[in-house]
Amino acid sequence: MKNNHLFKSTVKYVPLGEKRESAPEVPEGLLRRCNACKSAVFVDEVKKGFYICPRCNNYFRVPAYSRLRRIADEGSFEEWDTDIAFSNPLHYRGYGEKIRELKEKTGLDEAVVTGKIRIDGEETVVGVMDGRFLMASMGEIVGEKIARAFERATREKLPVILFACSGGARMQEGIVSLMQMAKTSAAVKRHDEAGLLYISVLTDPTTGGVTASFAMLGDIILAEPGALIGFAGPRVIEQTIRQKLPKGFQRSEFLLEHGFVDAIVPREQLRDRLAELIRLHRYKKEAGKNQKSAGQNPVGEGMINEGRTAPKTGASAPMSAWEHVERARDKMRPVGHDYIESLFPGFVEFHGDRHFRDDPAVIGGVALFEGTPVTVIAQEKGRGTKGNIACNFGMVSPDGYRKAMRLVRQAEKFDRPVIFFVDTPGAFCGMEAEERGQGEAIARSLCDLFGVGVPLLSIVIGEGGSGGALAFAVADEVWMLEHSVYSVLSPEGFASILWKDGSRAREAAALMKLTARDLYGMEIVERVIPEPDGLGEVFSRETMDGVAGELKAGIAGFLERYRERDSESLLEHRYQRFRKF
Amino acid sequence: MIQKLLIANRGEIAVRIIRACRELGIETVAVYSEADAGSLHSELADQAVCIGPGPSTESYLNMERIMSAAMITGADAIHPGYGFLSENARFARLCERCHMIFVGPPSRVISGLGNKQAARNTMAAAGVPVIPGTDHPVTQVQEGLELAEEIGYPVIVKAVLGGGGKGMRVAYGKSEFENAFLTAQKEAQAAFGDGNMYIEHFVEHPRHIEFQILADAAGNVIHLGERDCSVQRKHQKMIEESPSPGVSPALREKMGEMAVRAAKAAEYVSAGTIEYLLEEDGRFYFMEMNTRIQVEHPVTEWVTGIDLIKEQLKIASGERLTIRQEDVHLNGHAIECRINAENPLKNFRPSPGYISTLHLPGGQGIRVDTGIYSGYQIPPYYDSMLAKLIVHAEDRAQAIAKMLSAMGEVIIGGVDTNVDYQFEILSNEDYQSGKVNVDFLKDHEIGGVKIEE
Repeated sequence: MKNNHLFKSTVKYVPLGEKRESAPEVPEGLLRRCNACKSAVFVDEVKKGFYICPRCNNYFRVPAYSRLRRIADEGSFEEWDTDIAFSNPLHYRGYGEKIRELKEKTGLDEAVVTGKIRIDGEETVVGVMDGRFLMASMGEIVGEKIARAFERATREKLPVILFACSGGARMQEGIVSLMQMAKTSAAVKRHDEAGLLYISVLTDPTTGGVTASFAMLGDIILAEPGALIGFAGPRVIEQTIRQKLPKGFQRSEFLLEHGFVDAIVPREQLRDRLAELIRLHRYKKEAGKNQKSAGQNPVGEGMINEGRTAPKTGASAPMSAWEHVERARDKMRPVGHDYIESLFPGFVEFHGDRHFRDDPAVIGGVALFEGTPVTVIAQEKGRGTKGNIACNFGMVSPDGYRKAMRLVRQAEKFDRPVIFFVDTPGAFCGMEAEERGQGEAIARSLCDLFGVGVPLLSIVIGEGGSGGALAFAVADEVWMLEHSVYSVLSPEGFASILWKDGSRAREAAALMKLTARDLYGMEIVERVIPEPDGLGEVFSRETMDGVAGELKAGIAGFLERYRERDSESLLEHRYQRFRKF
Repeated sequence: MIQKLLIANRGEIAVRIIRACRELGIETVAVYSEADAGSLHSELADQAVCIGPGPSTESYLNMERIMSAAMITGADAIHPGYGFLSENARFARLCERCHMIFVGPPSRVISGLGNKQAARNTMAAAGVPVIPGTDHPVTQVQEGLELAEEIGYPVIVKAVLGGGGKGMRVAYGKSEFENAFLTAQKEAQAAFGDGNMYIEHFVEHPRHIEFQILADAAGNVIHLGERDCSVQRKHQKMIEESPSPGVSPALREKMGEMAVRAAKAAEYVSAGTIEYLLEEDGRFYFMEMNTRIQVEHPVTEWVTGIDLIKEQLKIASGERLTIRQEDVHLNGHAIECRINAENPLKNFRPSPGYISTLHLPGGQGIRVDTGIYSGYQIPPYYDSMLAKLIVHAEDRAQAIAKMLSAMGEVIIGGVDTNVDYQFEILSNEDYQSGKVNVDFLKDHEIGGVKIEE
């Protein structure tokens, strides 16, 4: 504020008149200060909306029933287990009173609300934690309600969605609260073994014993933007290591990068995303399908040959092996995400290996392919220099293989076929990759893929480099695009090892038998997909319609061929397919 | 009466409001953005509060900060000026909830009139003429043909989901209708995936005529005659005058009566404006009601002798109108030209910058409302209007002559302005003879510049 005397001030002669009944003042509760940007916001508007600061987009905590109103179809909420008796195992003084007070103040019976709702028509069990109730810490009743919700969901064969928000275990209940971590995890396990879907939604803050139990056990883990998610709280960590934590540490984005969260979903989109995910997982295993019906489909050459389709002989002039290599590496060539976009509209991406990192060289997720849910996992080179660098040129890290295998196991749980796209110069050769066990990660993939009881199809779309490619190509059928290549090593590497001269790559390529046609002849692949071959026609995302059409028909045929196979015959077939080499 | 007024605006209108307060003896509080430090309005007010950085979302549109400034300074009323928060029902509502006088209509009136369809319905129900049109979407050409007949040609067919001129066709007669309807529908289908159409009477080359209204809380409503704002570029008014050369006393009476009726139907309080489209044959249609003081209010002030800002403040303080309709007479002729920092030769590109030299006209019958001064830096964040030059003379011809003389005196050094362009409009024969409609700048080449659609 400033007062100045550049101009003479107003000569005030307004009569004071009678005093106004109500002097200007901001009524209580009209405005509240946003804890992030410090600006005043209208409480009404925030509550009517999604509890988001209109200025800085900061997320406020949402009371449980408000959350339910925004997620559930109107009138669909049926609340469960509101009458669990309170006990005070440590006889902690004042605890009972505190609980009584909170019940009155919040209208909640405990820190979690559970029950059944419909989301866009899809029935699901739901649990929502409410931070107003002792920071939604988990004591006996919270653990009990969550365990019961999972048990009932298991009985009624329903998915579970849990909105986590918690400070952790409830100290007032001591060891009893610690036991809730195991109790809830056990209930999740049974639900999981019944093949049912559990989506965990992490909201601010999710910490301590809740993070270290059911919150991190979702088949799919979503997080709200900017939420604090961790085991130890940031203050505890700072005190322990005597260092200041970097900005963004333990926030949703940090967890996504570190592979613990499938996706960050803005609050406004949560409802739609949840409905979509339930829909994608609604398809139950059909009766009888997974029963081991030995002998139903004789395994052997006949079946393998069924998928074998001789390559069409193109009219174009024959190409040298090296020209194939150049084409397979061409910058214009469609990459993993181009195939996903053109073949799998509505693809929902899942991130992370749940161990260390989300590898951007691998894209994985779920989509409906002509009505059938499939898991799609693609090696991704990225487009343009920036994209290439972001995706590490398609060189997959251990985290990428672990992410792929996580999604494969998920596909098996939900009985979805898996379609791999292979396009890598080879697994990433870097220090970090070795530190995290590149060899182990590839080996584990090769081994475990032989135990996955759902159909696997692998399509080499560009470079199929070495073990890095093979870890995505242990499948029931492997197809190649006409000018893609698949080899034990790059021609440069081959020349350098055998002849100590990497520049003789062209010569090496001719020897290596790495073209689709050669590999078809050697029964390494079942099918060769023709590429546009017109004079001067560049194969790019603009000209990929023909290839996409061929693949679409091919994938439909593959799914049809393998639909009825039981898992035992699938595994035997896969075993024999590789056993013969 | 209001004791201390906060002006939630900047530039010339803030200065205008502060001056009215100084005359009335009401203390003033200016708010200003960091980009407006040292601006005239912040200097002229008794107190000034900085409310944030330059971009208006951070300052002049930030209601919480403005309300805080009002609370801190002990203001008991807020005048929103025009633009910014002036027609924001949420802000008016905030003032109501904080027992802060909002100089303008109640929030429910603002929101009611802000909804175009609801406002149209209110007016139609009150018997105020609105552009005839279908009240439901039409998909069949035969039904459309019958409705077009009822509405009266020319008609315009519009896509319900339309925008950007797509799915819009005019038919001047029955023979053209089928083709127009089907073409528009086809376009709409292609562009929006929807073939629902509206049919409306096509108002061709209308004048933009607006009536100034004053209404008090006791329900007294008067009108202060019209303003003709037909000279506009892409809905931006450039020259306004009162009275209109296209409105006869009889028509004025009729349109004025309807304007009063419209304001009553909306339960209006404060100064407001009824916008009409006026066809050449004298038919007129309600377009919308503006719930704020307008840029061009000085022309009305000059022909009626009424200070509109003072009236607004009195009404906001709960006083009754002391002027009766029969006291209102339009004397002489007033014209206002908006002087903007923009380059008409470069598609009216805004030209913010430093004003190195400044000479503004004065003298008998000449008024300049502005916030600029020599050495003023025009910030890039706000609209480009620098000043309003208003003249008053006995009749239109003399007013134009006065405006030409005054305009010819204007020197604003350092930035590009539209002064020469305005001078050319005033010199145009069709303008001088009063043959003006909203397409004037599209139909005339002014100083080598023709406005495209």
